[in-house]
Amino acid sequence: MQTIILFACLVSTYLMVIAKRMPALIMGFRYQSFFLFLVTLLMAIAERRIDLYSIAGLLLALKVVLIPGLLYRIVARIKANENLGLFLNTQLSLLCALGFTCLSWVFSARLLAPGNVLVTTTLTIAFFMVLAGIFLMIFRMTALAQIIGLLVMENGMFLLASTVSGGMPFFVEIAIFFDVFVSVLIMGFFVYRINKLFTHVDVNKLSRLKG
Amino acid sequence: MGYFLFDPLSVFFLSVIALVSLPSAVYSIGYLKGEASGRKTALAWLILILFLGAMGMVVTVNNTILFLVAWELMSLVSYFLVVFDTKHEKSVQAGTIYIVMTHIGTAFLIAAFLIMFKYAHSFDFSAIKNACASMPAGTKNTVFLLLLTGFGTKAGIVPLHIWLPYAHPQAPSHASSIMSGVMIKTAIYGIIRFVIFILGAHCLWWGIMVLVLAVISCLVGVIYALMEHDIKKLLAYHSVENIGIILLGVGLAMFFLSLNMPYLAVFSMIAGLYHLINHAIFKGLLFLCAGSVYKATGTRDIEKLGGLIKNMPYTAAYFLIGAMAISALPPFNGFVSEWLTLQAFFLGAFSVTGSAKVFLGVLGAMLALTGGLAAACFVKAFGITFLARPRSHYAVNALEVPFSMKAGMFFLAALTLAFGLGGAAVIKILSHVAAAATGIDITAMKFSVNNAVISPQAGYDIYLSVPLLALVLGALGIMGFAVYKLSGKGKTITYTTWDCGYYRLSPRNEYTATAFSKPFRIAFSFFLRPYRKTQKIRDSFYHIRSFKYETHTTKVFKKYIYDPALAMIFRSAKSMRRIQPGSIHLYLGYIFASVLLLIIFINRF
Repeated sequence: MQTIILFACLVSTYLMVIAKRMPALIMGFRYQSFFLFLVTLLMAIAERRIDLYSIAGLLLALKVVLIPGLLYRIVARIKANENLGLFLNTQLSLLCALGFTCLSWVFSARLLAPGNVLVTTTLTIAFFMVLAGIFLMIFRMTALAQIIGLLVMENGMFLLASTVSGGMPFFVEIAIFFDVFVSVLIMGFFVYRINKLFTHVDVNKLSRLKG
Repeated sequence: MGYFLFDPLSVFFLSVIALVSLPSAVYSIGYLKGEASGRKTALAWLILILFLGAMGMVVTVNNTILFLVAWELMSLVSYFLVVFDTKHEKSVQAGTIYIVMTHIGTAFLIAAFLIMFKYAHSFDFSAIKNACASMPAGTKNTVFLLLLTGFGTKAGIVPLHIWLPYAHPQAPSHASSIMSGVMIKTAIYGIIRFVIFILGAHCLWWGIMVLVLAVISCLVGVIYALMEHDIKKLLAYHSVENIGIILLGVGLAMFFLSLNMPYLAVFSMIAGLYHLINHAIFKGLLFLCAGSVYKATGTRDIEKLGGLIKNMPYTAAYFLIGAMAISALPPFNGFVSEWLTLQAFFLGAFSVTGSAKVFLGVLGAMLALTGGLAAACFVKAFGITFLARPRSHYAVNALEVPFSMKAGMFFLAALTLAFGLGGAAVIKILSHVAAAATGIDITAMKFSVNNAVISPQAGYDIYLSVPLLALVLGALGIMGFAVYKLSGKGKTITYTTWDCGYYRLSPRNEYTATAFSKPFRIAFSFFLRPYRKTQKIRDSFYHIRSFKYETHTTKVFKKYIYDPALAMIFRSAKSMRRIQPGSIHLYLGYIFASVLLLIIFINRF
């Protein structure tokens, strides 16, 4: 069961990598967070831990409902061109993503003792999510893609922590959630301001500001 | 004493600092009046006190970390002194050159100290001294070169002197006097303390290298000084020259130490230390006099001065004393120490064999040449500045400086004479300092007897008594004057100067500094590479309305060493700019690429 959900996570990340428009990207993020929520919930049920339940609840509330909702609103507000602006077209991006998956697999297999396939798979996917997040940040032009890239990285980190060390301490986890939420708020606000001042959110063009 | 060390060497340097700083501080009371606002004057005093404290710390700490802290503090505070006169844009530029150069020097020092720490596992001088005995020869050579470069930058050894003629003239005059008189000497302290005292000068080539660099500094310094018409810059170039003379003594001591000739080593060290204290005194005096001239006239360009001896008799007299001392004329102090250095060369040349004989002989000759050129330079500096008639309105309205400034100059002028006449006593004290620095037992050696200096190597006894010399010179002078008076040629006749029938002689017809230095410019043209620009504006073929003549010399070191190096740095900075386009994506990409590389790299193990 867990493996299936993890693969769903993987597929949703692929979806984000090949997304061309902002709503598609946010949707992909929503799916990814949702599957992450399912993984956490399963873990909570299996281990009967109250704190994991509450973390799963926070995941659902913040990353599935609130943050994507907020991002949708920003997209609607700035009324900008909905295109993400790709430095790398979708086919090549997908190819890259597959390459990263491979690399993560090699990396995880090296890192962990052979035999435990489930843990290795989880680690691979978690690591791939981090890589995909940074990939999104680099190869998409708009500032919004960078926010989402960061969130994807954060998701990857979450998964990474829960596989490698059985989850971070409860309070740390809570703190991270609020951190992420606040940073999204702030960055969203910035994107809005950038758009207002420069009538676009193309980060690539921000380089003109330098002296 | 914890972190401090008061051996004879440290105490000697402390007293040099005190000797020059006190009159300079008194001088600054008058000098700063009217120059700056009250708060700025207070700031100047604060900086001055910090500066003196830092210098005092440099020569007394017994720990490399504290030494570096004090060294850096000294550099920074002196930087603020250089840029103190914020009115001139030149000050800022000079300060930048200074601070860049001094930090390059400090970097070399840090490297040397770290290597020393690696062997000693301690920052303490005595522990390092013990550990240096077991240091491999190659490492020792590296440490020596690092130390020489580091301290050489501060001392202003050619070709690291580049900052000195910019920075020293730009500081207020009392500060230039301390910087030139004392601060660059702390570098000599460093060389003596770290190279001779701690590392131990065992290799012959160390001494030879120091000697060669020193003699180059001497000649380059004095030749550039001859070409210079800014009086403070001229003095700054003379600092390069005199650091060379001091290092001749120190280098000679290293040379003899490695040849195991203790008598001569101590003697050369005495010569070097004696010239060090002398240079501090007369260079301090000359900078104070130059400051007085600047304060009175508002210009440092000697081509615009002249005739100041009538308006400023005291300053002129003090400047003359300083000039005679720096030109090594008896009975002033510069004479004694240069005589000692020359003696050290000659005694050395008699005591060694083979090519070393020629080497020392040539160096002695070069030192003599330096002395001669310095005298020529000060004939120019004194003659053009103080004699003849004023060449511009700057010099016409000059007034003698206030009492506090005269007092500072008087004190140093008196010291100049005292250190000349009392040479024998000074040498007696310095022999203990030199013994402590070189680690040689001197109880069996004699360097002075009853007011006479004697050279120590048996078989070549040479005596010098400065008071006697002064007496003879004085008597000869009086006799000459008496003969002149008695022969009746002393009658004064007032008449117009013969001017070949021109009838319109003006100060513009006077001898200029440029003209005075022309023979030297031609003689040293292989090094100075002079070039000139002329511009004629004609009314007709036969009549020229105006004629413009400019002559310049090529700054060889700047043009062939520093300019290419700077250009290279800028070029590489420009190519570095290409990876810094300001794109966020690219920066993220760099991070990503390095993460990927690390992952691939980890798979290799």
